[in-house]
Amino acid sequence: MTDTAVSLADVELRRPHFQLGPIDLEVPKGYVTAIVGPNGSGKSSTFRLVLDLIKPDKGEINLLGQSTTQEEDWRVKSKVGYLPELFSPHDDKLKASIKTGFVKKWYPEWDVNRYQELLRLFEVDDHIKLGKMSKGMRRKYEFALTLSHHPELLILDEPSSGLDPLAWRTMIEVLHRYMEPGGRTILMASHIVEEVKRLADYIVFMIHGRVLGVYEKDELFGSWHAFYVHGEKVSRKLVQQLPGQCGIEEAGGGMLRVITRQAPDAETWCGQEGITITHRQALQLDDILAILVEQERTRLRS
Amino acid sequence: MWLPIQINEQSAEPLYYQIEVQLRALIVSGQLEEGTLLPSIREFAQLLKCSVITVRRVYQDLENEGLLRTKQGTGTYVARIEQNAMESYRLDAVTEALEAAVDAGKLVQCTREELAQLFQDVLERKFGG
Repeated sequence: MTDTAVSLADVELRRPHFQLGPIDLEVPKGYVTAIVGPNGSGKSSTFRLVLDLIKPDKGEINLLGQSTTQEEDWRVKSKVGYLPELFSPHDDKLKASIKTGFVKKWYPEWDVNRYQELLRLFEVDDHIKLGKMSKGMRRKYEFALTLSHHPELLILDEPSSGLDPLAWRTMIEVLHRYMEPGGRTILMASHIVEEVKRLADYIVFMIHGRVLGVYEKDELFGSWHAFYVHGEKVSRKLVQQLPGQCGIEEAGGGMLRVITRQAPDAETWCGQEGITITHRQALQLDDILAILVEQERTRLRS
Repeated sequence: MWLPIQINEQSAEPLYYQIEVQLRALIVSGQLEEGTLLPSIREFAQLLKCSVITVRRVYQDLENEGLLRTKQGTGTYVARIEQNAMESYRLDAVTEALEAAVDAGKLVQCTREELAQLFQDVLERKFGG
């Protein structure tokens, strides 16, 4: 059994216009876990719950071995690096270096060399006022700030928002190198398909405040395939029984495109039924998400 | 470190299996010599854009086969391989490629005879008449 960096058990958050949960989620230590879901599905709220910035109405949350319902322990938090999606405008008037001076006081492990190295890498000048920085510059500065105390756990909310392609590549590089020593954990939210592909080990789907499942990345992409099938035997009625079937559409010329979430089983089944798979296609993350959102919508309606 | 490993996302073969076959071929063909230090698990995963879980499985499987060995704290190396073991692995990658070719033929309803003829033709062409 792998260690857990963060766990949520039966967690609920009730708001007049939104209900989050009940959520059960275990984030394994030593891996990159990406939460994927449409806007407003509760990703950022989940992060705030984990960081004890808001209290759940129900349930138990554990952060690096410490329950958030216990007495607050700042030492646990000093092992976490958190990059929120949006920054509050109240420190806009501050020079970046002043904010750094304030932030570093909270972290016994603060490493000024690491901070300077990251600023150089991202070409950020911390003598500028935060409010005067471009969106990308601000993001890069905050990113450097998040990493400079060698956190054990990084919580990144849409880390690449506002970054240009080159800064984005640098960020991916930095995160890969961050993970290299082992024992470190990243929990992130992202809509960027390529980012999830490059970074994640595990993918969590979150829709309408619910966790729809945790999947090992390569297993996920190996399971969700579209099969193109045709032939005399092939009919909509027959392929409806395809294991893991998640959708059938006409692809022209009597060809049917059938989506399965259990590709290996579906392939065996086709073999048994004597159906030839003319072509197959691995689905992309956004395709899979779209299908899950649609299924969830249907489930809520019924 | 760069390794010539190609991943086919559209393949029915699981990712770990695709990587295993190719890495095994590189080792038994001698392209990766005994004692070569392989990339760390995280580095290799980054190179192939796959998860560390997959790479860990590949390293584990090949270590169980005696092709790799892991030294605690330093990394994963290509192990010493017995000559006869080399021989038994030598044809694996070729078998794999031939199976894929036959599958491609079956897809367009080739008969056994047609495929055998095609194979003969290719041999003639490649080795010269």
